[in-house]
Order: sequence, then C-alpha cells, then structure tokens
Amino acid sequence: MSLWGFYSRNAGEVLGLVGQHLSLVASSTVIAIVVGVPGGILLTRRPAWRAPVLGLANLFQTIPSLALFGFLIPLPFIGGIGATTAIVALVVYALLPIVRNTYAGIAGVDPAVREAGRGMGMTDWQLLTQVELPLGLGVILAGVRVATVVSVGTATIAAAIGAGGLGVYIFRGVAVVDDTLILAGALPAALMALAADALFGLAERRFAWRGK
Amino acid sequence: MTGGAGRWMAVEGGAWALVAALLLTGCAHRDRIVVGSKNFTESDLLGEIVAQQIERRTGLAVARRFHLGGTFVCHQAITAGQIDLYVEYTGTAYTAVLKHAPVADRDSVYHTVARDYAQRFGLAWVKPFGFNNTFAITVRRRDATRDGLRRISDLARVAPRWRAGFGYEFLERADGFRGLAAVYGLRFAAPPIAMDLGLTYRALAEGKVDVIAGNSTDGQIQALDLVVLEDDRHYFPPYEAAPVIRRATLARHEGVGAALDQLAGRISDAEMRRLNALADVEHRDIATVARDWLRSNLP
Repeated sequence: MSLWGFYSRNAGEVLGLVGQHLSLVASSTVIAIVVGVPGGILLTRRPAWRAPVLGLANLFQTIPSLALFGFLIPLPFIGGIGATTAIVALVVYALLPIVRNTYAGIAGVDPAVREAGRGMGMTDWQLLTQVELPLGLGVILAGVRVATVVSVGTATIAAAIGAGGLGVYIFRGVAVVDDTLILAGALPAALMALAADALFGLAERRFAWRGK
Repeated sequence: MTGGAGRWMAVEGGAWALVAALLLTGCAHRDRIVVGSKNFTESDLLGEIVAQQIERRTGLAVARRFHLGGTFVCHQAITAGQIDLYVEYTGTAYTAVLKHAPVADRDSVYHTVARDYAQRFGLAWVKPFGFNNTFAITVRRRDATRDGLRRISDLARVAPRWRAGFGYEFLERADGFRGLAAVYGLRFAAPPIAMDLGLTYRALAEGKVDVIAGNSTDGQIQALDLVVLEDDRHYFPPYEAAPVIRRATLARHEGVGAALDQLAGRISDAEMRRLNALADVEHRDIATVARDWLRSNLP
C-alpha cells in the first residue's frame, strides 16, 4: 500500500494522531517553559544552585523513556497510563535545554551593561525585565527551539504508554514490519519538527537583534 | 544562536554514522557465527544458551547481536545474512511471517514453517526446545478469585466493565486481539489501550488496566501474583521455540547442527518460566543463567 493511499483511506485517524501529537508537544513545552525559564533565572541569582540543578537536569536527560514510564506508572497525579505520564516525561526531557539556555542567556549579558543599569538606579526586577531578559532572549529562544524540535521526535514514545500521537503508527509498523506504517508516523513527525524549527528560527531572528 | 541546534544535529549525525558502522561490522563472517535475539528476556536467554552451546561444542567464535527490535527485525536480519541464527516461535513464524491463518495443531504448524522457510528463505528450523510460549491472557489474582475467572470465556462476562492494555504486536497480529475478541465475544468498555508490552505488567499490577496479554513463560506472572486464563476454545496456535538458522551456515560448519540438536526437547514450560524469573525477577546475569543451565543439563 502506498503512503498516500494509506493517508487518504485513514485521513480521520491520521488527523486525530497529528492533533494528539501536537497537543502533547505543545502542552509539555509550555509547562517546560513555565518551569524552566524562571528556574534558569533563579540560577543566575543563586550561583551555588547552578551545578546541582543543571546536573539533575542532565541526569533526567539520560533516563531512557521506557524506564521513566516504568517509574511513573505507580505515582498518583503525575503517573498512571495515558497523556499525563507522557507529558511529564516530555517536560523532564525538555527542561535541560531551556534551563541551561536561560541561565546562559542572562549570565552572558555584558557586565558593563548590567552595571550601567544599576548605576541608573534600577531594581533587580527592572534589571531583569528591562535589561537581562531582552538581551538574553535570543539565547533563551534557542533553548526553547531545541527543546521543541527534540520534543516532536521524543513525543513518538508517548505511544508506549497509551497516550497516542504519531508514535502509534511507528510502533504498529515496527510490530508488523510495515514500512508504510512506520513512514506514516515518521514523515509527519519529521515535517512537524522542521516546521517548528523554522518557526522558532523566524522568532529568533526577530528578537535576537536586540542582543547585537 | 543556531549553534546549539547545529551542534545537536552534528551529534545526531555522528550517532547515525556509529549505528551504520555497527551494522556493517555486524555482517556475518565466514569464520564465526552471529547469533541474534529479539528484544525480550527469554529470547536473549535462549540466544545466549545457543551461543554458548556452539562455543562449547564447536570451538567457533560466536558474535552476539541481541535485543533486536522484534520478530521482523530478526527475520530481515537473518534473510539479509546479518545474523546466522536466532530463536523463533513456530506460531509466530506461521501467522506473522508466513501470513497463514492461525491453526491450533502443533505438528502441522512446525512442519509447515520448516518446509516454507526452507523453500522461501533458505532457512532451516532446528528441533524445538520443548516448551510452548503462548500468549497469556492475564489478570490479577484477587480479581480472578472475586469474579470466578478461570478461562478466557469467563472474561466475556466482566469485559464490559474492564479495561484492557495490550502491546502493539498483539493488537496488530492475525493471531492477536481481533481474532481473540471475535472467538470469545469480548466487548470491553473502551478500545484496548495500546502500550509497550513490558509496561503492561506494571500497569496491570498497579491496577491501571485489568487484563493484559503477556507470554505464558514470563517470570512476572508468578512474581506479581497474576493468573493466566485458560484458552478453552484453543484460539492461539502453538508457539514452540526453536533455533532458525541459515542453511548456508549449517552446510559450512558441520558441528553447529549437531550442537543445536542436543538442545531439542530439553526445556519445559516450567523450566523456561524458572529461567526467565532468574533473569527478570532475581536480576541474575543472562550469561551466568545460561552457563549454569548448560552445565547442569548438558555437562
């Protein structure tokens, strides 16, 4: 069966899985930003926390997803089987690039600029929102960009825990070695990753000039 | 700004090059035997037993390519000559590789796969190890006791209130869920949850699903206090494990066939379950479990 034949015959299902995939990536990335960006900012204010926190985020990155699912199944609220568990795993994997780039973006701001801000009598909050965040935005966005693109690929593993997404076709295809099925899942995921990368590329170019 | 993403892609490119290099070096060599296995404990264990038996009896070097991604990856690897042999199950070859409709007769399944594999793929089936690793429709013991479940036909009664969780292979195969549901008239509250096979045991033990399809020789069945329901309508074909080997390899190395024949009929259902439990439940090293078994059974 050709790929296009497969898509036209299963259009409803394909769209449903694409939708699930997008919502898994979107919700996990949003959560990772909400947690990761303030986390990265906090690290610039508490330098002693930097090594342990980044070390922990690094460690999370190395846990194989199936092992992570195994640990999560028995946990209340964040565990079980289904979308919640998959999103928790995706957040765990997305945290490192976001936290690290947020920290790097702000820590990389020219100290002279920061001093100038202080000299003008800025509070720490003003310094953060009016100097450091705008100047670090390009680097922070680059972190979000990596996290999102990687998430699109990683989200295929959600199919291992009953959360659906395009991984369903990949798992099914691998189970019966049907290359068409594998491609049916992998191709839209790859296109989605490219689109996300391009989109964030545009956003970076729009905001990064402030850093120059 | 794109430095981060670019570097990441370079790392990924490097990883793929490494994978390609590993695959290339994995090609079957004239002077050594390459043994493969599927991606679960029992297949690794049997692969290790076969590998050590060949090493002991023939003195040939054996390379191990274990934990390959399932039936079809192994099948493609062996037909492409990337591996020389791996352990396959008759019912799986019969329905999933040869695409025959499932039948329950043990001998006719073995004879058909042996004949078709020889003709179509140039592969030989060695005599089976002796056990039958069938799909095990498995539930928690307390549910089985409470609802009086012994056979799969008893399941039809409770199915409308229950949740099922199955691996992708079981959901897709001709001898899998669809046929089972039709033969036993199973109607679950919702479509079965598709998930990784290894995670289904944990999901069942934690009460996240109520019925799963494991394998009858899995060590977790006893360890997690689960019950396997009897296939009273004989839906599942026999799944006898036996080494499948390239005929070219058998012809080139005389001793290999004889070494494998010594393993025929030596492992019962209970013995296989015990070996799986040693690896999965007691976390013993697979190579050690295989060596101990060979030492005490084929000294």
